[in-house]
Amino acid sequence: MKIGLYLCKCGNNISEKIDIERVKGEMSKEVYVEEVSFACSEDGKQQIELSLRENNIERMVIVACSPREHERTFMKVMESAGLNPYLMQMVNAREQIAWVTEDIERATEKALRHIKGAIKRVSLHQPLEKKEVSICPDILVLGAGPAGLKAALSLASAGRKVYLVEKSPVIGGMPVRYEELFPNLECGPCMLEPMLGEVLHGEYSENIELHTLSELVEVTGFFGNFNVKIRKRPRYVDSTCVGCGECVAACPVSTPNEFNFGMNQRKAVDFPFAGALPNIAWIDDKTCLRFHNQECTACIEACPLGEVVFRFDEEIELFERQVGAIVLAIGANLYDCSRIPNLGYGREADVLNAWEFERMLASNGPTGGEIKTSKGKSPQRIAIIHCVGSLDERYVQYCSGICCSYAFKFNHMISQKLPEAEIYHFYKELVIPGKESIVLFNHAKHNPKAHFIRYDTIDAFEITSNTDGEILLRVKTEEFEGEFLFDLIVLCPAMVPIEDTKELGRILEATQDKYGFFEELHNRLDAVQSKIKGIYLAGTCQSPMDIQKAINHGVAVAGYILSNLVEGRKIEIKPIVAQVSDRCSGCKICIMLCPYKALSFDENLGRTVVNEVLCQGCGTCVAACPAGAAIAKHFTTEQILAEIEGGLR
Amino acid sequence: MINKGFEPKIVAFLCNWCSYAAADKAGAAQNTYPPNVNVIRVMCSGRVDPQFVMKAFKDGADGVIILACHLGDCHYKEGNYRAVQRYRMLTRLLDELGIEKERFLFDFVSAGEGDKFVNVLKDMGEKIKKIGPLPKT
Repeated sequence: MKIGLYLCKCGNNISEKIDIERVKGEMSKEVYVEEVSFACSEDGKQQIELSLRENNIERMVIVACSPREHERTFMKVMESAGLNPYLMQMVNAREQIAWVTEDIERATEKALRHIKGAIKRVSLHQPLEKKEVSICPDILVLGAGPAGLKAALSLASAGRKVYLVEKSPVIGGMPVRYEELFPNLECGPCMLEPMLGEVLHGEYSENIELHTLSELVEVTGFFGNFNVKIRKRPRYVDSTCVGCGECVAACPVSTPNEFNFGMNQRKAVDFPFAGALPNIAWIDDKTCLRFHNQECTACIEACPLGEVVFRFDEEIELFERQVGAIVLAIGANLYDCSRIPNLGYGREADVLNAWEFERMLASNGPTGGEIKTSKGKSPQRIAIIHCVGSLDERYVQYCSGICCSYAFKFNHMISQKLPEAEIYHFYKELVIPGKESIVLFNHAKHNPKAHFIRYDTIDAFEITSNTDGEILLRVKTEEFEGEFLFDLIVLCPAMVPIEDTKELGRILEATQDKYGFFEELHNRLDAVQSKIKGIYLAGTCQSPMDIQKAINHGVAVAGYILSNLVEGRKIEIKPIVAQVSDRCSGCKICIMLCPYKALSFDENLGRTVVNEVLCQGCGTCVAACPAGAAIAKHFTTEQILAEIEGGLR
Repeated sequence: MINKGFEPKIVAFLCNWCSYAAADKAGAAQNTYPPNVNVIRVMCSGRVDPQFVMKAFKDGADGVIILACHLGDCHYKEGNYRAVQRYRMLTRLLDELGIEKERFLFDFVSAGEGDKFVNVLKDMGEKIKKIGPLPKT
């Protein structure tokens, strides 16, 4: 086996610290040695390529810079010289020897040790080939809020088939339920409905298969080839429904409306709220009399289309789809304020959280947009408590970054609806990022009815009610102590992961961060990719954020998918993966260790097998295998032992 | 001291993503350190098989160090946790064999911590100098 050793001088970066002549002198005759001035330059690459050919070199050791810098470059040179690119080893003589050693003689000795290790190692290298697998270009999007909708639309408009799966009967997520949005007081439904319309009956809507009342229950496969199982609950009303609402008026059953957080009643057949899309009524089988052994035909009789619209025999449907990638856009929740008992939330009827207050402000909400207390009174003193559960080690450490902005939106909307009302903002910190939110803050600051009181800990509050139905708020901080009577208190809680995150994380093996949000691949560079290849994150299931960011996430995810999962193009599998030989005894230790679910036990073969698409080549399984059956390609035990030995002996 | 002039041989297993990058960073900053270290690059600290460490000692290393990503930062999610587990197990075995704990270290070095990389190696070298070469059996 003829080994070629190429010594890059890197100008004089390497040669002024490493005695090239001495290195040459110490090489055995079997090793062909050649100097290169700048190996990574065009001239240098040509020189090496030519030399590899002319001297019939079979393996190359190149003494140059860090492989992190130019390993790819020299692998390409190998390929152009007709050699397998893996039959090469680099010695990092610049970053890890020349630049960090003062003494020439000792630097040269260090280089020689590494060169000897590399020569021993490279002689054991195996030629490796890239593999390819074909992919399914279709995509599953979970969650039809702004992030999921944007991802679905972007992908659909690029011609991709999208399965859009939404748990609730309505699409649009949370903001479609808000009357006005910060920072520009744009109407939530007005802003989002064109997007919803696009999904339902737009130019590319035929590429989107929407399933409401549906959830992901099972996943098998891997990036490029997932098989997903969806469970769809019955709506009992089919898509021929014209959404007139006659059935709602006729329905005799009333129950608390969860879409308004129980602040009003809905019927057993209803729309989540006025204007909810898709504009198809929905029957709640938990309350509808027909599902409780009673004969009721009120809705059928009221319906102008009659019986044909109703599907009372519909059952839970389980169906499967093939997809190449999965987008998680399942949204977030608000911190449960009842876990901070001194705030009175859940105990005092007029202590609301931000979502409840949003619905109160909404013209299609439980009060028709009127701000009023539980007793129907028009409130004159309203408290808005910021940072509820936030910035507190006991609850949630972080700042959600949006609450102050919507709190000042509340201020604005209250002062429009109730010009005489006094508004007290209690805050720990004021956070109003971005170029636009400051307008609402300034409006609040200059509102003579607005008052600002800073508090240090949520324990500063004691909220109780008096017999007149007013709420007594006692606040005691280091700088301030006072008692106030309020008619209404609005809590602005931290944004926290939605309950489903955990279960979906389990199904998909997508990890969660310390707060319970889906964990991103890299917090700056790859915030929309999960740690599982082919599973992408969009919107608030990854981190608290505003609508703008969530929409950007949706587009970013679509961009990633369109560039990673290209129709007709196969997925290239890097050859540095694990391999399991027949020596496998079936102990399955490796299967438990693999962070990528890349290993599984093949009962027929009686040994563990590697899914090369999922395997990332870390080698943890190899170090763990008691039988020595797992092999890390290009980092085999023999290769590394040879490198150790070569460097020491 | 009889160890005057003794230069310990250290084998350092560096993961491709954090500690190897830190070593490159120390290089880019021209932050010098004793040239007594042989670097073995692995993709992940989780790849370091206990027999690599034994082999290094057998072939004449006076010290072996594994440098991993910080916990939670592993490029492969949790390989460094496995590396820690194996390190703990192996230290007990080496203790049985009479190899002092100063000779086998584990630490976390992120890609940005070029200075830490240098300091950890310098420290280790100094400590091994004090205890002398590993007796060859």
